[in-house]
Amino acid sequence: MITVEEIQRVARLMKIEVFDHKEYVDKVHAMIEYFDILDSAGVEDEDITTQETPISNLRNDEHVPFDEKLIKRLNHYKGTYVRAPKMS
Amino acid sequence: MNLRISALEYVQEVQNGNISAEDFISSTLDRIKSVDDKLHAFLSVNYDAVDQAKEIDKKVKSGDKVGACFGMPVSVKDNICIKDSTTTCASRMLEDFVAPYDATVISKLKEEDAIFIGKTNMDEFAMGLTTEFSAFGPSKNPWDTQYVPGGSSGGSAVSVSALECIVSLGSDTGGSVRNPASFCGSVGYKPTYGLISRFGLISYANSIEQIGPLTRTVKDAAFLLNLITGLDPNDSTTVDNHDEDYLTDIEAGIEGKKIGVIKEMIAEGTDPTVMSATKDAISKLESLGASCEEISLDMVKYSVAAYYAITATEAGSNLARYDNLRYGYDFPVEGYEFNSYIKKARKKFGPEVTRRIILGGFVPSAGQAGKYFLKALKIKSRLTREVDRVFEKYDLLIAPTVPILPFRIGEKIDDPVALFLVDLNTVTANLAGKPAVSVPFAVSNGLPIGIQLLANSMNDKMLLQAAYALEQTVKLPEVPPIP
Repeated sequence: MITVEEIQRVARLMKIEVFDHKEYVDKVHAMIEYFDILDSAGVEDEDITTQETPISNLRNDEHVPFDEKLIKRLNHYKGTYVRAPKMS
Repeated sequence: MNLRISALEYVQEVQNGNISAEDFISSTLDRIKSVDDKLHAFLSVNYDAVDQAKEIDKKVKSGDKVGACFGMPVSVKDNICIKDSTTTCASRMLEDFVAPYDATVISKLKEEDAIFIGKTNMDEFAMGLTTEFSAFGPSKNPWDTQYVPGGSSGGSAVSVSALECIVSLGSDTGGSVRNPASFCGSVGYKPTYGLISRFGLISYANSIEQIGPLTRTVKDAAFLLNLITGLDPNDSTTVDNHDEDYLTDIEAGIEGKKIGVIKEMIAEGTDPTVMSATKDAISKLESLGASCEEISLDMVKYSVAAYYAITATEAGSNLARYDNLRYGYDFPVEGYEFNSYIKKARKKFGPEVTRRIILGGFVPSAGQAGKYFLKALKIKSRLTREVDRVFEKYDLLIAPTVPILPFRIGEKIDDPVALFLVDLNTVTANLAGKPAVSVPFAVSNGLPIGIQLLANSMNDKMLLQAAYALEQTVKLPEVPPIP
């Protein structure tokens, strides 16, 4: 059983402010409780299959010039830099 | 102007000079103006479409080469980028975002002279299955505006069903094309994973989501697939379909095909009218020469939990990029510390997205990953093996697209687990990477019911042949006038 404190801690890590307990904590709690059904699937010995992508599928690692100044689409920038708040 | 025509009929009519693209587009825009305040299928409408249509007509008249779409009006889910158009994902977070490039599907359709009539409403970041989680308000089902249209591509399904376009592009992560297609009485196609490029689709859960068409007919879905499938250097997960023509031989029929009826998808909880429609569909397929028998996929009962654990994890990662510094809305940075700014900015995410981000942090976290995320991946692997094994013996699988009928707006919005279970029949195709289609099959109490067919990977052509055969066995009533 997960605790409310755990949910609140994860929310902080995900940079989410939990300001409505019922809307977030209670509903997330119900969702996680539903996931407990996974315990009865009996898949402990199952291998996780992964999708392999051959390197030939990757596009060439080359610079493709873009014909616009993307930076000008931002709300906050200075010169060619994204403007961000100060880090404490 | 008859707006109730298929894509193939439209192309033929414009090509033969019986109608002009300009007249059709003008009538479509008039239709949007007259009904969309009641349906809310669109988040933005392209009013320059008439000028684009005039250019198509000029090309037709002068005998210049015209692309296969001949100015056909196409609506596009608002998580697919069209250069210089707002692409909001139905989120306040991206309210002002203007895409700087075209998604590959958009580039391909532009080359074929499609006209993008507007961007359609959806659940915020495609997280939902009713369109009620759009930050800009829900779409309404054109069959009865008190009911949800399904989701997350709800606006796309509504726009096709309510004659506000001819075809639409949606995205399907766990049924988001097929579910609204079923609820609104249109065809919804989820291709084999990798068949259509995801480049320019704003990511939710990359490992299982696909762009897919919503159309009036199965032939239109095949027509659209011919235009948008294939390898894309910008999406390394795309697969080579060797320029398969999905329209050729679509009338081949299903005689001799073996169809498995998925027991777990017609189990307890299935609405009796949906069950009856499914049985009727099975009988009709048998009368066309297919043989149907019940099969079991044990992992289906765990599939929804596995699906939500995987998608929440991928969503948590994908949505970390929304810090309001590179994309976002105007919120001054002055006076804030870095982390507190981002936390404050991310308050623009709606409640469902916020919940899934929290879930996406919790499920793969240290101490929890083994219980949730890794187990979900193991279920995905086992389910895929089960499905592959079934396809060694059967050509197709069948189940109702959604086990219940469309429900009233607001009826399930406060119960996330009840909403989860609406996905029961659709998530398997996504987790296993298989193609699946919802075919409108019946109308009960004025609300449509879709039947879902699935095929093995890269058997999209055979799947469309079967869907076409099923479609030809029914004639459904038309969508009632919008009140």
